Amino acid sequence: MVRTEMRNPSTLCQFRILLTKDLRIEFRTKEMVTSMGLYALLVLTVYGASLAQTAWGFNILQMSGGLLWVVIIFTSLLGLNRSFSQEKEFAALDGILLVPMDRSVIFLAKMTANLIFLLVIQIITVPLFIFFFLATTTPAETALLIVIPLLVGSIGIAGIGTLLSTITMHTRGKDVLLAVLFIPLIFPLLYACVSATSMMLVGTDDLGAIWRSLALAGGYDVIMILLGWVLYDFLLSA
Amino acid sequence: MRSSSLSDRIVPLALVVGALLTTAAFLLAFLVAPLVAGASVGSTEIIGGIAVSNKLLLSQKIFFFHVPVAIVSFAALAFTAFYSIRYLMTKESRFDTRSRTATEIALVFIIATMASGDLWTRFDWGVWWVWEPRLTTYFILMLLVIAYFILRTAIDAPERKATFAAVFGIITFVDAPICFMITRLVPSSIHPVVFSTESSMSPLVLVPFLLALFGMLLVGFSLYRLRLRQVTLTNRIEFLKLQLEEKRQAESRKKRMMEETKAITVE
Repeated sequence: MVRTEMRNPSTLCQFRILLTKDLRIEFRTKEMVTSMGLYALLVLTVYGASLAQTAWGFNILQMSGGLLWVVIIFTSLLGLNRSFSQEKEFAALDGILLVPMDRSVIFLAKMTANLIFLLVIQIITVPLFIFFFLATTTPAETALLIVIPLLVGSIGIAGIGTLLSTITMHTRGKDVLLAVLFIPLIFPLLYACVSATSMMLVGTDDLGAIWRSLALAGGYDVIMILLGWVLYDFLLSA
Repeated sequence: MRSSSLSDRIVPLALVVGALLTTAAFLLAFLVAPLVAGASVGSTEIIGGIAVSNKLLLSQKIFFFHVPVAIVSFAALAFTAFYSIRYLMTKESRFDTRSRTATEIALVFIIATMASGDLWTRFDWGVWWVWEPRLTTYFILMLLVIAYFILRTAIDAPERKATFAAVFGIITFVDAPICFMITRLVPSSIHPVVFSTESSMSPLVLVPFLLALFGMLLVGFSLYRLRLRQVTLTNRIEFLKLQLEEKRQAESRKKRMMEETKAITVE
């Protein structure tokens, strides 16, 4: 008798396949990174127009943390809106749902893909932002540390955003609805990340305050991603 | 099916008791509770013929309205989250109705809190609005609750609407503890920590406050029950109308068939 062995692929394997699929689509179409990158550049241009009259009059370093996060939030909103559009075409999502696996893996894979796109955009945007607006200023020595709040914030944006874009995928007026749901929900994270980024750029004696902000942001990430992990199955089953 | 259960009969009574307790608390707050010292004036000044070194705030009386209403809004959101979880566990539409009703009550009380808080901000801090941590997080909470209803109207399929609303109701609730705890997390907040073991409230303040709190909780709860009853009855009427319509159609079809058979037999 021939023994056939059917082994379910491990969760990690499923995750890797789903993630590679998203990255491969992106690598071939370059749709997401192009549109998000262009949008970020346009927002920076708008900053240029709105700050042109005052740029020499005040210390832009104080505002730079907030301005940087505005670009990131709006750019990520654009990307998240599109992150499920390709899954809806040709009912690709239904195909994925037919696979007998834990639905939370889909959440994690999609979230990681969104996170990677967001990080790629930031690698382009943040140096551009510094080049355009902070060239004449002298940031504090801690300025390089802003990668930590950028990373922590991006993880949260990707997690919350993936959860919400799954919700808005099936709704009327989904672009507006995603913003309506996303911005209030992201707010605590945004607040903590902006304060950490600003403190790092401007420089502060109170290192404890920076770590407190980062801990708040990290805690919010953990709660939201855990909730997404638990609730994702219900979203896809509905 | 009984038209009214025991709890439905208690509800109007609870509403009246809640209203009476709240009214009594307000009267006590104005007549019995002493004025609270606010910001210091700087040096001793003569105000109203008396030398004082700090201002006594009449506007602090809003405390007896503002804080209980805010607590009821948190409680209502807790109900929303609880019934949302119940809905996801059971998929019974009655839990969806409940969580929606609880969110409606939460929105009413949130708006009352915002309105009273805004007046208080104006008179105590001198500004209409300030991006202070407690205010900000509460404002976010209001936006989330409004977004909950926008989400509901944007989905057509009933089951999907209920599921998505339940998921959003649960994640919304994450902001409620943050808002409640923020005055402890961010010490720079201008809002005082009201609930702690070393709370310095004197009995003259504490008693009216607790009366207002229980009164408001009763008012909130009975409003929730009344609204729930109204929604349930509306749903039942809609269902009966639908059934009646189907029955009428079936009867007319039957009549037509009988007429046709009669016509055939006559021929």
